[in-house]
Amino acid sequence: MKLRMQITKEHDIRFISHLEYVRTLERAIRRAQLPVSYSEGFNPHMKFSLASALGVGIVSYAEFLEMELAEPMEPENAVKKLSANLPRGIRILAADAVASGSTALMSQAGGASYRITLPYEDDLNEVVAGFNAAKSLPFKKLAPQKKEGFKEIDVKFYIPCIKAVHQKGKTILEFDCRITHDGSMKAVDLLNALNEYWHINLPVAKADIERLALYKTDEKGNKKNMLE
Amino acid sequence: MEKEFSIDILSSVQKPVRYTGGEFGSIVKSDSETEVLIALAFPDVYEVGMSYLGFKILYHLLNKEQGIAAERVYAPWVDMEEKMREHGIPLRTLETGRKLSECDMVGFTLQYELSYTNILNMLDLGGITLLANERGENDPFVIVGGPCVYNPEPLTDFFDLAVIGEGEEVLIELMEYYKNWKQGGRKGGRRGFLRLAVQIKGIYVPSFYRIVYKDNGTISAVQPIDDSAPSEIEKRVISDLNGIDFPDTVVVPFGEIVHDRIMLEVFRGCTRGCRFCHAGMIYRPVRERKPEVLKDMARKLVASTGYNEISLVSLSTADYSCLAPMIHDMVNEFKDKRVSVSLPSLRIDSFCVDIAREVQAVRKSSLTFAPEAGSQKMRDVINKGVTEEDLMNAVGTAFSSGWSSVKLYFMLGLPEETDEDVLAIADLAKKVKQKYFQVTGRHGAKITVSVSSFVPKPYTAFQWVGQNDIKVLRHKQFLLKDALKVKNITFQYHDAKTSVIEAVFARGDRRLGKAILLAWEKGARFDGWSDCFSYERWLESIKEAGLDIDFYAARGRGEYEVFPWEHLQPGITRRFLWNEWEKAKKRQLTPDCRRGNCQGCGVCQNLGVDIIDWGTGEAQ
Repeated sequence: MKLRMQITKEHDIRFISHLEYVRTLERAIRRAQLPVSYSEGFNPHMKFSLASALGVGIVSYAEFLEMELAEPMEPENAVKKLSANLPRGIRILAADAVASGSTALMSQAGGASYRITLPYEDDLNEVVAGFNAAKSLPFKKLAPQKKEGFKEIDVKFYIPCIKAVHQKGKTILEFDCRITHDGSMKAVDLLNALNEYWHINLPVAKADIERLALYKTDEKGNKKNMLE
Repeated sequence: MEKEFSIDILSSVQKPVRYTGGEFGSIVKSDSETEVLIALAFPDVYEVGMSYLGFKILYHLLNKEQGIAAERVYAPWVDMEEKMREHGIPLRTLETGRKLSECDMVGFTLQYELSYTNILNMLDLGGITLLANERGENDPFVIVGGPCVYNPEPLTDFFDLAVIGEGEEVLIELMEYYKNWKQGGRKGGRRGFLRLAVQIKGIYVPSFYRIVYKDNGTISAVQPIDDSAPSEIEKRVISDLNGIDFPDTVVVPFGEIVHDRIMLEVFRGCTRGCRFCHAGMIYRPVRERKPEVLKDMARKLVASTGYNEISLVSLSTADYSCLAPMIHDMVNEFKDKRVSVSLPSLRIDSFCVDIAREVQAVRKSSLTFAPEAGSQKMRDVINKGVTEEDLMNAVGTAFSSGWSSVKLYFMLGLPEETDEDVLAIADLAKKVKQKYFQVTGRHGAKITVSVSSFVPKPYTAFQWVGQNDIKVLRHKQFLLKDALKVKNITFQYHDAKTSVIEAVFARGDRRLGKAILLAWEKGARFDGWSDCFSYERWLESIKEAGLDIDFYAARGRGEYEVFPWEHLQPGITRRFLWNEWEKAKKRQLTPDCRRGNCQGCGVCQNLGVDIIDWGTGEAQ
C-alpha cells in the first residue's frame, strides 16, 4: 500500500533546500521505523516522493509526500509515529492510504494557491485591475539550462487573477497558480512581471511567500483535494 | 529577542541552512532552566563544525546537567559576515539566538592553527572584547580546548582560561564552580573566578604566568605570578571510557555536513609512536571501549538519528583489538535496517583490506593508505613500522578483491629527507601501479598520490626540528611532480605556504598574539581555506609585530631550549621525546607498547592511568 500525507514546511525551516527537506523526511521516516519499501540493488533507496519541489525560502502548508509501504499500517498510527520524529517546522496535516499502483501524486497536481506578504504601502488597485483585465502578459523567466538563458511564458496562462489587500503597512497578494505537465511558474515571477509591466517597485527580495494549498483540478477546472 | 535573519539576507547567502538551526535533536532550554549558558564555538563553517565529535559529546553531556545550557555557534562564511556587518547583526547561538556577549562562557575548540583568526572574528562579531585583559565584568569568559591547546600560547591575549585534556569531567566541574561563584555574588570579580578555576586540575589561566625571554628571543622561564597558579598543568584524562556517558542522540542536520554519519568512538589514544604525530602523543594512553558497549551505542544512535551509516572512529581503528568480530556482528545486525558500517582509514596490511571488503560489500570506491614516506629509510626515521612489502601485500589484496583505485598519502619535508627520498615516493607509486597489472593482468589502475608538507608539532619527537623553508618545500614538490608525470597517476599537493604559517603557530609563543591581531585587522579569516588565505598578509603581520617567521618555523631548537608550552603537560616526558629524536636520526624503531613492553613515554605513570585493550582477554 501507499501512504500519502499533507505536510508543512514552516517558517523555522523555510530556508532548507528541497533536497535537504527530502533528506530530513527520509531520516524522520527511519527514526519512526515505518515499514517503508526500498529499491533493490546495492545502493537501495527509500520508495518515497514529494508531489512538487518547493523553492528555497517559501513556507508551505501543502507539501504532499507519498511512500510505498512493505507491510500495511493504519495511517493514523503512521502519523503518530512520524510526528514524534519530525523536527520543528514540519507537521502532518492529513493522511490517507491508497493501493500500490495508484497514479503517482507527482503527476496529479493541477495548481497551487499562494499568499505573498510584502513590506509595501502604495495602492495597488490599478495594478490588480490591470492585471486581472489583461488577456496575456508575456514574460521572460530565467531558464539557465536554455541557450538564451530565459524562456518566454504567459503569466496569465498560469495566474488568471490576483487579489491584494493592505494590512498594517504591508501588502498581501493572494492568487492561484496553474501546474501543468510542462511545469509551472514561480510565485516570485509574478512580482517581477508586475514590476516590469506597471513600473512599480515591489520589494521582491523581501517577499514572504507562502504556499497555502496544492490541489488537483477536474475537466471543468474545479479544485479537488489531493488526497481524494 | 530578534533571532531571525530577514528573508532578503537569507536569500542572498550560500547555504542559508547554516544559520537557521532548529535541527532534530537540538536542545533549546528556557530561561528558567538556564543558570549557566555556554556557547560551544567552532571556528569554521557549520558543515565542518557539525562534524566534530568532541562537541557532539560535550553538547550532550552539558545539556544533561540541570541548570546548564550548551548552545552551538559556527563561523559565518564571508558572504554572511558581510551582511551581518552591513546590518549590524551580531553573532548569535543557533538554539536561542543569544548574542555571544550574553553567554556566561564561550568555548572555542582549537583544531587547527589556521583557524585562529576566525576566533577573533567570531568574538568581534559576537560583541565580546577581543583582548582578555580588557574584558569587563559583563563579558563572558572565553575558554579554549582541543588538540592545539597543548600550545595555546599564540592565543593567550584572547582567552581567559584553557581546558587541558579530555573535557567530559572537567567542564562539568568548571560549570559548577561558575554557578557557585555567580550565586555567591561574583566574589572578587573576573579575577576571583579565575583564581577559583585554577584549583580544578586541568585548568590553565595564562594571565597568571609571566614569560621571561633571553636576548636571543628564546624563553628563559615561565613563572607563575599568582599564588593560586600551579607551576605545571597536567592534562585531564578519562581513565575508562566504558564508565562515561556517550551521546545516545546527536543533532541531525538538514543539509549535508562533512562527516554526515554516526561516529562511534571505538577508542582513544594511539601508541604506534609515529614520530611526527601530535595526536599520537597527546591522547595517550590507548583506552578501548568494550564491543558490547559500542554495539549498544550503535543501536541507540541508529534509532535516535535515522542515519544509515556508522563510522568506527579513532586514531587507528584497525588496531582495535576486537575489530573483526565486532564489524561482523554489526554488519549482520544492521543489514536489514540498511545501515552500513565504515572505517575512516586503513592500516597498511591485508587484514585491513579484508575488513574493508566486508564492510563495503559490493561497492568499490577508492581505498586510502598512508605510507607517509617513500623510502624505507624515511619510514624508519618517522617510526612508521611499515615496509614496501606490507604496502604491496595490502594493495595486492585490494586489487584482487576488485578495487582499482588507490589513494596514497605522503609527507614532504620530513627531517633527514634528501631528494632521493622524495623520488622514492614516485617509485613506490609506480610499483603500486605495476602491482595492479601483475594481479589483474590489466592496465588502468587509478593511483592518486597526495602530499602534504611536514609541520613540526609540540610534544612530538620532532619538536626540536627546523621546518624546511618554503624554497626547499617547493623544490621537493616540483621534483616529485616531474617524476610523477605518469599515465593513471594523479599528483595532488597542498600549498607549502599554509604549512609554514601553521608551523609558526604550532610552536609559537605569546608574542605572536600581536601578529594574529594585526592579520585579522588586515582581513585574515578562514586561513585554512585556500581562497581566503594570504601568505603576504601573514608575512607583513608577523614582521609588523616585530617577529621573524624563520625563528618560529625553520629554526632547529637546541636540546635544552625551554619551549613555550612545557607548563602544559600531556604526561609525555621530555627525555622520551629527545630519545625518540636521537633514535630517528639513527633510524631505530620503537615498538608499540599497546600489547608489548612499556617504552617509557611516561604517560601511564605520570597520569596514573592504564592501557585498556581487550585483545588479551582482559584489560592490562
